[in-house]
Amino acid sequence: MSTPPIVAEGLVRHFGSGDKVVKAVDGVDLTVNNGEIFGFLGPNGAGKSTTVRVLTTLLKPTAGRATVAGYDVATQADMVRRSIGVALQDAAIDPLMTGRELLALQSVLYGLPKARATSRGDELLERVGLIAAADRRVGTYSGGMRRRLDLALSLVHEPSVLFLDEPTTGLDPMSRLTLWEEVRRLNREGTTVLLTTQYLEEADQLADRVAIIDHGHIVRQGVPRDLKAAVGAPTLLIDVAETQASAAREVLVRFGDLRPTSEGTLGVGLREGASAVAAVIRALDDATIHVRHLELNEPSLDDVFAEATGHRLEGAEAPKQ
Amino acid sequence: MTLALATRHTAWLTYRSVLGRLRQPAALTPSFVFPLFFAALGSASFSRIADRPDFQEIASSFLNYAVAGAVAQGVLFASTSAAGDLATDIEQGFFERLLASPVSRTSILLGRLGSAMVVAVVQVTVFMIIFMAFGARIESGPIGFIGLVGSGAFLSLAIGGLMSGMAIKSGSPEVVQGSFPLVFALMFLSSAFFPRQYMTGWYRTVADWNPLSHIVEGMQGFMNQPLAADMFWRAWLIPLGLAVVSIAFGLRSLSKRLAAL
Repeated sequence: MSTPPIVAEGLVRHFGSGDKVVKAVDGVDLTVNNGEIFGFLGPNGAGKSTTVRVLTTLLKPTAGRATVAGYDVATQADMVRRSIGVALQDAAIDPLMTGRELLALQSVLYGLPKARATSRGDELLERVGLIAAADRRVGTYSGGMRRRLDLALSLVHEPSVLFLDEPTTGLDPMSRLTLWEEVRRLNREGTTVLLTTQYLEEADQLADRVAIIDHGHIVRQGVPRDLKAAVGAPTLLIDVAETQASAAREVLVRFGDLRPTSEGTLGVGLREGASAVAAVIRALDDATIHVRHLELNEPSLDDVFAEATGHRLEGAEAPKQ
Repeated sequence: MTLALATRHTAWLTYRSVLGRLRQPAALTPSFVFPLFFAALGSASFSRIADRPDFQEIASSFLNYAVAGAVAQGVLFASTSAAGDLATDIEQGFFERLLASPVSRTSILLGRLGSAMVVAVVQVTVFMIIFMAFGARIESGPIGFIGLVGSGAFLSLAIGGLMSGMAIKSGSPEVVQGSFPLVFALMFLSSAFFPRQYMTGWYRTVADWNPLSHIVEGMQGFMNQPLAADMFWRAWLIPLGLAVVSIAFGLRSLSKRLAAL
């Protein structure tokens, strides 16, 4: 059996020292299998990008070990770099160069012969829909165009493993869908993809498996469907006046465990499932609690996150498509 | 990493840097305009020193004298700007994009220095054309012209290496630009704008010890005297020696930055 393309064992990365040490990644274990799209989900500052930067050799691990494409990230960094494609959230694209020039430069950096570099550049520009803008300076590109160019740059050398760090953050819904489709297509062609995201829907839509990270620890890992099933009961969310919140909580707790929600909303995991909704409404009515809004949600990755961490991924929901 | 591939990386990163310079005329223009402006100002203010009988030992005319100062000033401007661009790459993340690729790490620095050198060669050539249009003459002939171009190129490496080292250490374009007054002071405390022979006191002492004085005087030799080996010693070997030290500083800064990742 071949080695999985990405393996991390007890990966640790600290910044600073002494009293001021920040444990950005604190003992991450993960395995990404060949041909998977693996979603790395967590809020800002959870440790997603730091983990990716260690796996892509941009940071050295403080402790632990990781291999990517079969090479150790600490001792065989150059071989790792040759084997992977990387599109980082913070890595700027030179605004003074054209898309075509940047692809040519990237091809040289990966050692492609000149003739192959030209044809590969054209292929990729076609693929990401930038052929018409190929000779324009990147400074004139929209956010979506830059992300697509970034993706093209990461594919120049036909890597078997692709790292995408928050590839759709800040994109409009149409650009996001276009990028998702391209990621799926790449994956169908055999590329293993690790993508970080703070968007639950993105992880749910794209990833075969996800890891949820919070404060540098992986708190859940698995197939999204299984993770959601493990949370169990659907969540009933209600909005009531602040003066009635305490009384409403007393009613809700009779039907299941209270769940973390966003401010101003109460949530309960219904033990008896959706069939208990009528009983909850009756009980709230009997207690003369005025419900302003009611919503029943099947378990989501946000519930998985909330159940694992005690808080929700605030503002993490991607705009509805 | 083979030497051929590292050379290819350096050549392409040089090309990228030159393109970047050409596409920011606002950043490139000062290194062409200010030296000519200072030369014009110097000619208006100090040209009467050319009436001194002993000035002929220094230069055949004040214009011929001013060429070397303008070249040195232009090169200092351009090299500092190139280093500022390197700091901008670090600040804005292009440096990280390069690090994520299998690029030769040395090429990241050498590519920037390469572009500073290309700009220096173009600059010296343009300056010579302009000065000659106003009556300057290269007394040492075509080889003297090559001597001047080479001196400008080597000086760009010396200053570029130092400034790039600072850029890599700080990762801040502001720090690089902020250090420019020091470079400017180095120039004013040399014989770039006024002959060392006419200086007195501490000013003269500083200028005597300032390597830029000797580089500029080497260049002035090409402009004002028949060709002699001494000119190459001063105009080429001093900046080359400084370049070796400053590039070593730049590479050490790069190596330390990479080790700290």
